[in-house]
Amino acid sequence: MMSEPAILCRRISKRFRLGRNSWAIRGLMKRLGFHRHDPGPATHDSAKIWALRNVCLKVSPGESVGVIGPNGAGKSTLLRLFARVLKPDAGELRVRGRVTALIEVGAGFHPELTGRENVFLSGSILGMRRAEIRSKLDAIVDFAGIGRFLDVPVKRYSSGMHARLGFSIAAHVDPEILLVDEVLSVGDAAFRLRCMERMRELLSGGTTLVLVTHHLDQMTGVCKRAIVLDGGRVAFDGAANEAAGHYMRAVSQAHAIRATDVVEGEDQRAIVGDVQLRLQNDRRDEAPWFRAGEAIRAEVSFCLRERVDSLLIELNVRAASQELVLSFNTGRANRSLALESGRHQVLLTIPEVPLCSGQYFWNVRMWDGDRGATLVDTPMCFPMVMDDEGKGTGRLALRHEWARITGESGEKQKSAPIETTLAPVTLPREKELVG
Amino acid sequence: MTPAHSAIKPTQWIAFRELLWNLTWRDIRVRYRQTMLGIAWAVLSPLSMMVIFTFVFGGTQVSTEGIPYALYAYCGLAPWAFFANSLNGAANSIVAHRSLVTKVYFPREVFPLSCVAGALVDFCISLMLLFGLMAYFARFGGHAPRIGSALLMLPVVIVVQILLTVGLGLLVSMANLFYRDVRSILALALQLGLFVSAVVVPLPSRGSTAYALLSWNPMVSLMQSYRDCLLHGRWPEFGGLTYAAAVGVVVVGVSAWLFRRASPRFAECV
Repeated sequence: MMSEPAILCRRISKRFRLGRNSWAIRGLMKRLGFHRHDPGPATHDSAKIWALRNVCLKVSPGESVGVIGPNGAGKSTLLRLFARVLKPDAGELRVRGRVTALIEVGAGFHPELTGRENVFLSGSILGMRRAEIRSKLDAIVDFAGIGRFLDVPVKRYSSGMHARLGFSIAAHVDPEILLVDEVLSVGDAAFRLRCMERMRELLSGGTTLVLVTHHLDQMTGVCKRAIVLDGGRVAFDGAANEAAGHYMRAVSQAHAIRATDVVEGEDQRAIVGDVQLRLQNDRRDEAPWFRAGEAIRAEVSFCLRERVDSLLIELNVRAASQELVLSFNTGRANRSLALESGRHQVLLTIPEVPLCSGQYFWNVRMWDGDRGATLVDTPMCFPMVMDDEGKGTGRLALRHEWARITGESGEKQKSAPIETTLAPVTLPREKELVG
Repeated sequence: MTPAHSAIKPTQWIAFRELLWNLTWRDIRVRYRQTMLGIAWAVLSPLSMMVIFTFVFGGTQVSTEGIPYALYAYCGLAPWAFFANSLNGAANSIVAHRSLVTKVYFPREVFPLSCVAGALVDFCISLMLLFGLMAYFARFGGHAPRIGSALLMLPVVIVVQILLTVGLGLLVSMANLFYRDVRSILALALQLGLFVSAVVVPLPSRGSTAYALLSWNPMVSLMQSYRDCLLHGRWPEFGGLTYAAAVGVVVVGVSAWLFRRASPRFAECV
């Protein structure tokens, strides 16, 4: 049986004015034709952009939908439309059920009031009845972990406590539709995990969830379905893993040109200049988008202004969370290069990169081994996108297999332990291109 | 299935009422927290005005129908403070809650309404002081209070003032979203309004042009009604009070309708 959708959008569009409204006396005069000389670009004031264009979407009750896309794609606008904060300029939008929007953590908190007072205030802003808040107070305080600070004014709270209490209130509203907008970036790792847990709990209780996020692994961890917004339009609508892949491919293509850009702001007197890094996959694509397990060819190209006898090169790969995941160093491979001045290229080949889906960034460092001086240390500016087609979560997608061990003696057969075979990770080789 | 933007359903009114209560309570709580004088601030403003006006007008021939001038002035200043504080607060209320307006949905009417409600609480406190003043003048000023059955009309007069205040409050809170000048204009208008609303000086004599012009102001009838039932012990003039009530009903009706129509756009304009 088809149930009625929780959210139904039919070709909704939303437009925003960029400039000021032109009803100020000066604007009025201009409109009425009283102006002598035009002081500025008149059209700019009335310029409008479409934040969303003809978006069609149907979300069934109990579904969990992620919304991903680059900045300015219209994600937050869509969420605010669902939250009834904004009204679409065109199209039809129907939202069925009690909506709680987690767009801001600690909605309506007043710094002078105590935590307890703020729970009641914020709770009622989010649509909870007083009796309901009273019955949930313990759970809210427990979840936020603020215990003995409950009767302390919120202005004395740390920002983490503030955010935890705010989220905790919203998480206990028991909405039929929960809208979450990038609020989980607050709080420590343990709290983030608890938030995810609470979202899953609500989902299993039948809540409909719409989650806007930039953290793809967070999204795929909670949502079954996802839509990719780009420029106010739905670019993809489907399974969360596929949507993440689609988005990352789009991102990597957008970055393809930037990746080979010159590092800006370099010192003219520096020995090394014009550092470029080109990442290529097996398919000779220019886009730095790789399938897990595929080979990566990283081509470093740079200019030497004078001869260096012992040049050491290091390439680092960090995850979007800044955590260092891979590092390759000519020194550790006992290779140093003696190079004349001029343009050179060095190629690093990694036959197999077992990284899970996500965005990663490369940087390039070079030393003069004799003098021990750092010659160049670029920012983490070269992006790379990995795609394991949604097979793994975590950081590494290692080759492995599962097997059930059948015991020799009959009694122990029940407690079949499981064994994992890990394939050894092939060590990368480095190879010099003659420049 | 309901459209995303519909009028408030009756069941939502209970939640709305609680929210209104919570916001009002928060405002009052916050206003007097970490202050030295605390709740005394509620009466300090009309009281200090009373002292100033008594100093200026007390010796002159202001026809107060035998009421001590200080009492006369305070009886106008207390409800006027309610009116002015409500509107000044309401004008800024939605803009001040920008982060809520752009992020959470609930009927936006709560913001101006909670300002009126907060000011009403202060008004009730300053009314207590009025009775205190009346007792003082009875004891030391030789002015016997004329309290009678007309005091029963006080709640009616207050309700009429609430109507007017809520109507104008909704209007200015909305207007200030679009033009921030509204707040400044309002502050100016309220300063001037003090002198044309029979708050501290009575209207010019009947029959003059000034009287004809000023008597259109519903606040004039209100102020007179307050004095009638509080100080003179007589029933308020029926025509004047009815006129003020009618204006109040119309203003509330029109501004509530406008507010409801415009509120879906607030999040973009604020």
